Amino acid sequence: MEMTEVLAQINEIAKDVFDDENIVLAENTTANDVEDWDSITHVQLLFSVEKQFGIKFTSSEIAKFKNIGEIIACILAK
Amino acid sequence: MNYLDDIIAKIATENPVHGKKLRKNIGKQSQEYKDKANEFFSTYISFAKKTDKDLDYGIACYLRMLADVNQEYIAFLETGEYTTKSFEDANRRVYNNPEVMEYYMHGLLMSQYLWVHHNDIYKFFVGNITKHKTEVSNYLEIGAGHGMYISEATKLLSDTTSFDVVDISPTSLEISKSFIEKQDINYMLSDIYEYEPSEKYDFITMGEVLEHVEDPISLLKCVSGLLKDSGTLFITAPANAPAIDHIYLFKNAEDIRDVITAAGLTITKEYAEFVEDVSPEIAEQYKIALMYGAFLKKQ
Repeated sequence: MEMTEVLAQINEIAKDVFDDENIVLAENTTANDVEDWDSITHVQLLFSVEKQFGIKFTSSEIAKFKNIGEIIACILAK
Repeated sequence: MNYLDDIIAKIATENPVHGKKLRKNIGKQSQEYKDKANEFFSTYISFAKKTDKDLDYGIACYLRMLADVNQEYIAFLETGEYTTKSFEDANRRVYNNPEVMEYYMHGLLMSQYLWVHHNDIYKFFVGNITKHKTEVSNYLEIGAGHGMYISEATKLLSDTTSFDVVDISPTSLEISKSFIEKQDINYMLSDIYEYEPSEKYDFITMGEVLEHVEDPISLLKCVSGLLKDSGTLFITAPANAPAIDHIYLFKNAEDIRDVITAAGLTITKEYAEFVEDVSPEIAEQYKIALMYGAFLKKQ
């Protein structure tokens, strides 16, 4: 799977999690760029991403997620 | 020294989501809270130095612990259960795993002033313990941690009150000794089930212990047995709070109240607060953790 395809799928998840149809994520998007990206929606996002891609994040992977690009890189590495 | 701002800035760099939360939550706290936090982190640095660690190490441990909590929370959303099922499990994963225990202990210490809901329960304790001043000749704390409760009790209760701490972990007892200023406190290494004091207590505090055991009713009955008939027990426990060493799942405050009643105790005053600033409906929907504290008497 390509980086752009993963990003597109996460963007669809984000629309639901952040309740924002117009949200456009990029690899360098962080919680500081999305008003509703807080500790509750963060876990919702990771939970939905795990389900969508059929994967499980480890604790040490979760610890490294600073932005969307790092989540995508982790998915692609699995 | 303003440790708090430095800590939050470093956390925000590594974990922007959590940095955002800390800025919001701690930003709302009083200057007194921030001063106490800085004093606490100064003590933490001295404590860490004893084992050649520093504040950056504490921050790294805190971030690691936070990632554990997130992973446990994701599993909790999926199954509605905690992943650690027994005390044996918790021993294997945490207590008997020195590498995990090391970062977990430092992470928990850092959380004492970064998780502001700890402070709200603490204020509830402080606001009510003075009512017991004249009736408390002896005080026991089970698992004192860094001494948030007992330190305040030593200031607010009578000068003649005697203070005991019982803990099952030598490491935890060392932490208590490092953080608690008062010198004449009796520290005892013991399983509470095997602890046999010469005299029963007027006041017992047991914070954040019930969720770590398989049978909280049995534990409360045991602790109640250490209390005088007129004595008071103060407990805290979280509901919906997945963590690597939490075993017993309280789904709400009612579950905690049921355990209290089943142990033959009655609630005289209680406090409950969700750890996120959300409505009860949202808290229910997202299974947000609830902090609960209560003063109890024998029935």
